[in-house]
Amino acid sequence: MSSLSPKERLLNTFARKAVDRKPVICPGGMMNAAIVEVMDNSGKAFPEAHSDAGLMTELALAVNIQTGFENIGIPFCMTVEAEALGSAVDFGTRACEPKIAVERYAAAAEAVLPDTKSALESSRSSVIATTVEAASRQLTDVPVIGSLTGPISTAGSLVDPMRFLKDLRKDAAASHALIDKVADFLIEYAYQLIEAGADVISIADPTATGEILGPKMFEDFAVRYINRVADGIHRANIPVIVHICGDLKPVKSHIAHLHADAVSADAMVDLVALKAEFPELVTMGNLSTYLLEFGTPEKVAAAAEILKRGSIDIIAPACGLSTSSPLANIKAFTDAIRA
Amino acid sequence: MSSERERILRGLSDSVVDMDEDTAAELSNEAVAQGIDALEVIDEGLADGMRRAGDLFESEEYFIPELLVCSDALNAGVEVLKPHIKVEGGAEKKTKVVIGVIEGDTHDIGKNLVKILVEAGGFEIIDLGRDVPAEKFVDTAIAEQADVIALSTLMTTTMLGMPKVVELLKEKGVREKHKVIVGGGPLSQAFSDKIGADGYSKNASEALKLVKTLVGRA
Repeated sequence: MSSLSPKERLLNTFARKAVDRKPVICPGGMMNAAIVEVMDNSGKAFPEAHSDAGLMTELALAVNIQTGFENIGIPFCMTVEAEALGSAVDFGTRACEPKIAVERYAAAAEAVLPDTKSALESSRSSVIATTVEAASRQLTDVPVIGSLTGPISTAGSLVDPMRFLKDLRKDAAASHALIDKVADFLIEYAYQLIEAGADVISIADPTATGEILGPKMFEDFAVRYINRVADGIHRANIPVIVHICGDLKPVKSHIAHLHADAVSADAMVDLVALKAEFPELVTMGNLSTYLLEFGTPEKVAAAAEILKRGSIDIIAPACGLSTSSPLANIKAFTDAIRA
Repeated sequence: MSSERERILRGLSDSVVDMDEDTAAELSNEAVAQGIDALEVIDEGLADGMRRAGDLFESEEYFIPELLVCSDALNAGVEVLKPHIKVEGGAEKKTKVVIGVIEGDTHDIGKNLVKILVEAGGFEIIDLGRDVPAEKFVDTAIAEQADVIALSTLMTTTMLGMPKVVELLKEKGVREKHKVIVGGGPLSQAFSDKIGADGYSKNASEALKLVKTLVGRA
């Protein structure tokens, strides 16, 4: 078949249509590919680029050109949502991504979220939307992926995380009420990005792992609310990637119930075996980020070759990559897949 | 009397496993009223329950929310018993572990779990909290004569603060006196070997085993 544009290739993969080869992407957010070397080369850097649409657009385009990942992935952090809902953010440094400095609430029962509309108008979410718009205007053939922090992790960035996890057990009613409102907010934020031109929404929810929550709570909280957000995004006819951190073993039976157009998994997950067990899944992953940071280009290329030959649909890093990963390793990764 | 003691200790252990703070506090009050030694009540009752919870965590019957709520029940009992601990009598000196989240990272759930289980395993924990500079780990370990320094991070960008701790210990000529262990999402045994740490564990119950092995208590 004739060669497809990166956007056609990725969208065809979600739709299970024929493709010329596998796409290689890095969706942004938790999986941010704006490494220090790209900042050095482009002159656009963290932390300024987290809050300035012009800088963010230029850095996102530089990532696309320099790394070989076949998408635009923004934002570069996981703090936009919780900040819009009231938590304080420490924007970090050139090499260190932003993090939550102070959670807004002490307990789930105390959370009174601000009105979604005003939270979206007066926060960094509009900077992200402006960036999505500018990037999709400049690169019409490249899929623009808007990355969301999932409902459990966002709620866990609004309430002190220790207390949040305890409340899932001790105060399930308040936890459900909070996460439900967070899910509503995330859907509206996704719409803001979609209206600006996002082709795909990716949800990463690192607090919602089987290893942290166990199978029962993973089903009651993670699957339930991630699916609610995904359903909302699907109403806008936009595909959804869901990344689940950590080992999937404790929650494998729930993975097939995620309303995801692609499921992305961590390095320890055998995606070929997962695909064999659930052939209807579109799988995404999972090159070791440890290898990307500490390996050699030759070793990275060899590992990429194995992923390419296996039955994995979309090739991507396994998890969040370090900003100090060498560009040569990332290029070796994407070159191997694109060859 | 001894069966009464057993009933209370067993009940306290169960209250921790069952995540029942109220019963933990109630039975702790009963233990005080019965004149049972507070330290024994903590170790054979409450901490025993926490160790059982740790076993359930290891066998994947309990997960992190359960462990945290078990630890709340343990603390509810300890609060009642604390004023009744007899300090005289030369209790044996506990092995000290300095623990904290490396500078730049504010994620401390993993660190807190390790703290809970290692403490229940009979070690004294000096918790430096989160966002801790390498110097602070080393200075505290030296001042407190701690046997183990436990470093945690969840962020790939901050894991490079860990070799700094190992280097500082070498610079100060005390590398042999303090075992360094590392843990957290992005880490691995390979990383631990690479930076010259003494051990890596992938979760909190393994961290307890690792500490025991390193100090020769396994």
